[in-house]
Amino acid sequence: MKSLALAGMSLAALLAGSAALQAKTLVYCSEGSPENFSPALNTTGTSFDAARPIYNKLTEFERGSTKVVPGLAESWTVSEDSKVFTFKLKKGVKFHSVRPQGGVAFTPTRDFNADDVLFAFNRQGDEKHPFHKISGGKYDYYSDMDMPKNVKSVEKVDDYTVRLTLNEPNAPILANLAMDFMAIPSAEYAAALQKAGKLEQFDQVPVGTGPFSFVAYQKDAVIRFKAFEAHTATEKAKVDDLVYAITPDPTARYSKLKAGECHFMAYPRPADLPEMQKDAALKVINQSGLNIAYWAYNVQKPPFDKKEVRQALNYAIDKNAIIRDVYLGAGQAAVNLIPPTMWSYNTAVKGYPFDQAKAKELLAKAGVTTPLDIDLWYMPVQRPYNPNAKRIAEMMQADLAKVGINAKLVTFEWGEYRKRAQQGEHTTAQLGWTGDNGDPDNFFFLRGCSGARPGGQNLTKWCNKDYDDRLIKARGMSNQEARAKLYEEMQVIENEEAPDLKIAHSVVYEVMRKEVEGYKQSPLGDHRFNGVELK
Amino acid sequence: MAADIAAAAGNGERVAPPERPLAAFWATFSENKGAVLGLVIVSAIVLLAILADLVAPYHPNEQFRDAVKAPPVWAEGGSWRFVLGTDGLGRDMLSRLIHGARISLFIGVSVMCVSFVLGVAIGLASAHFGGVVDVIITRTMDLIMAVPGLVLAILVVAVLGPSLPNTIVAVTLVSLPRYVRLVRASALAELSKDYVTAARVAGVGPLRLMLATVLPNCLAPLIIQAALGVSDAILEAAALGFLGLGAQPPISEWGTMLADAREFIRSNPWLVTLPGLAILITVISINLLGDGLRDALDPKMRRS
Repeated sequence: MKSLALAGMSLAALLAGSAALQAKTLVYCSEGSPENFSPALNTTGTSFDAARPIYNKLTEFERGSTKVVPGLAESWTVSEDSKVFTFKLKKGVKFHSVRPQGGVAFTPTRDFNADDVLFAFNRQGDEKHPFHKISGGKYDYYSDMDMPKNVKSVEKVDDYTVRLTLNEPNAPILANLAMDFMAIPSAEYAAALQKAGKLEQFDQVPVGTGPFSFVAYQKDAVIRFKAFEAHTATEKAKVDDLVYAITPDPTARYSKLKAGECHFMAYPRPADLPEMQKDAALKVINQSGLNIAYWAYNVQKPPFDKKEVRQALNYAIDKNAIIRDVYLGAGQAAVNLIPPTMWSYNTAVKGYPFDQAKAKELLAKAGVTTPLDIDLWYMPVQRPYNPNAKRIAEMMQADLAKVGINAKLVTFEWGEYRKRAQQGEHTTAQLGWTGDNGDPDNFFFLRGCSGARPGGQNLTKWCNKDYDDRLIKARGMSNQEARAKLYEEMQVIENEEAPDLKIAHSVVYEVMRKEVEGYKQSPLGDHRFNGVELK
Repeated sequence: MAADIAAAAGNGERVAPPERPLAAFWATFSENKGAVLGLVIVSAIVLLAILADLVAPYHPNEQFRDAVKAPPVWAEGGSWRFVLGTDGLGRDMLSRLIHGARISLFIGVSVMCVSFVLGVAIGLASAHFGGVVDVIITRTMDLIMAVPGLVLAILVVAVLGPSLPNTIVAVTLVSLPRYVRLVRASALAELSKDYVTAARVAGVGPLRLMLATVLPNCLAPLIIQAALGVSDAILEAAALGFLGLGAQPPISEWGTMLADAREFIRSNPWLVTLPGLAILITVISINLLGDGLRDALDPKMRRS
């Protein structure tokens, strides 16, 4: 009797609810499935986008810019020698509760505090931490940003104060803390899972303080979130539900967008843009991207240990044709690793013009016997910096054939591709980078020595002492002009040594339906849906 | 005795000389207009494929960077320089389609030949030995057939690595059971007939019995299966190419061309349409040809 009455009441409530106010659901057609929901473990934009609605960080980037603003930290003080950072944490910040099917349910009993911050650092930095080895236990970002070397200690002063001590002064650290790998999960949730013996659930069913809470995930199909009412740390969600409809094919994404099945799509194809711009139901925005597409030579494999060979390949490729035919004009030929809009860009570096005679001459000088067989790896997926790696590879293959190099095109499944390339199994491989904190260091570290270890993000495996010394020195300085000078010198060294061919900086386009309001395109290439409304 | 026979022949009506088998075959075959059309088109495609180097206006991999995505001659802005236009990298579509015919037919025919030979060998062995050998072979074939063809092909390519020879291996493996089962079934039916017993009694050895006595009588359904098998193999190979697991770039293969042009389906539709049409026309004509063969070879279908 009671249950019947309850059912009747809830039905009435449902009817009333739907009549008064329809639940607003924002559907985002995303480009792929995330590896898991712990940003600390991941390196791709796809996985970061999937976890972003759930988490906050100590500091955050303002939506639509690279400006660092307070996130879970209310304020911070920096010591004289820029080695000790003291963070005051926000009070009354609530965690989500989750009720996964067949998993451990969790309802938080306490607010966010210093323990959660310590957990975020220690899981990645402390090898004895119970969660360190879970889900593969690889923290590429943490390592590549040199955090293990840099962080001397993280201490809890009291429940709402955390003190971070560095070994050396590090200028970009506040921006680094705003990056996804420093997302703050719930330590209480971790403890609950540990008690239940289900540690793996931590990375599959995430709990954070973010504007949306996790509801469900089906691989290759859908991720569901719902707005978190008690969210206070950053901007609140303005829709009731958020759905990521995973649609790997860009043509299919476009069809869904046209049909109104999604409100927002990731990575439109350049070929579709003219038609999208004409469509009155759609809104197209763009911004020159903070990114670089490159073609890395593995300098540990002959003949790429010779500078002349690398330079020759730089001369051999017609970059302008690639910009015209693959980017369809939505990009500019790259000279330096950083895009020209970023501070410290060295305009004196001129790069390599398209000159196949010179390429042949250099190859002969290096003593390379042609025909030379090389591998040319291309990504199987579209990236913000590279609309079609296969087509670029085919153009390169044709150009290389003319200077006597036989390039064999190779690709793997996307996760496998990065893993193998980071291990250095390739001779040459395409990849790229989208900056994640607006600091030049975030680009230049890509050619640093610490990323050249097997598994590191430096795909060239190039480790040049002159370059690396300057990289580390610049990181420790807070004077922007002095840093810029070092970065300019590094660009000269890198251009001369040519560990890679820099292909292009792309213009990033975002397409959404007219109903979507308040979306701000991020120069960092991420997608954030708090503060976004449906009209 | 001799006089008796002569007398008997003289008494009866004059028997028409039996038609030569080839002429009889052609008479039945040419009655089917679709089959003749199929034969004509298939012959044309085969000729194009063989003479690709002479017929194609350009090298299939040459990139004309000054004429990327040029429209075909009948469309607005088209020119006779590139009759069917160029693809996203400025390669001549006509040349690529002609060379693609070579790849597709090569795959189709080699898959057919390999599976024909293997199928006959395994099928006859199965029928001849019987017992444990038969059980092992038929169960293995059932196992292969239980996995969806394309999935099995993808699995094989994933293990061996994507390349043209591996595509052929994969598609052959997928189509093998059909041949084996066909040969086994018809050989078993033939083995129980009197003429086989007669041959046995006459002391014919097992190899000669199977190959010279039994096999020729199983050939008709096999030939039909082989003809249709070519078109199946072309389709499978195109599907693998579409998934990026077939011929590797820059080889011009129809399925790969189709996959590469997908993104232009709205802006430059002919890029997707042309390789699609090429596959369609080839497969339909081979199927028509196969139907005609069946009508002509299968005595049960032959009109009296």
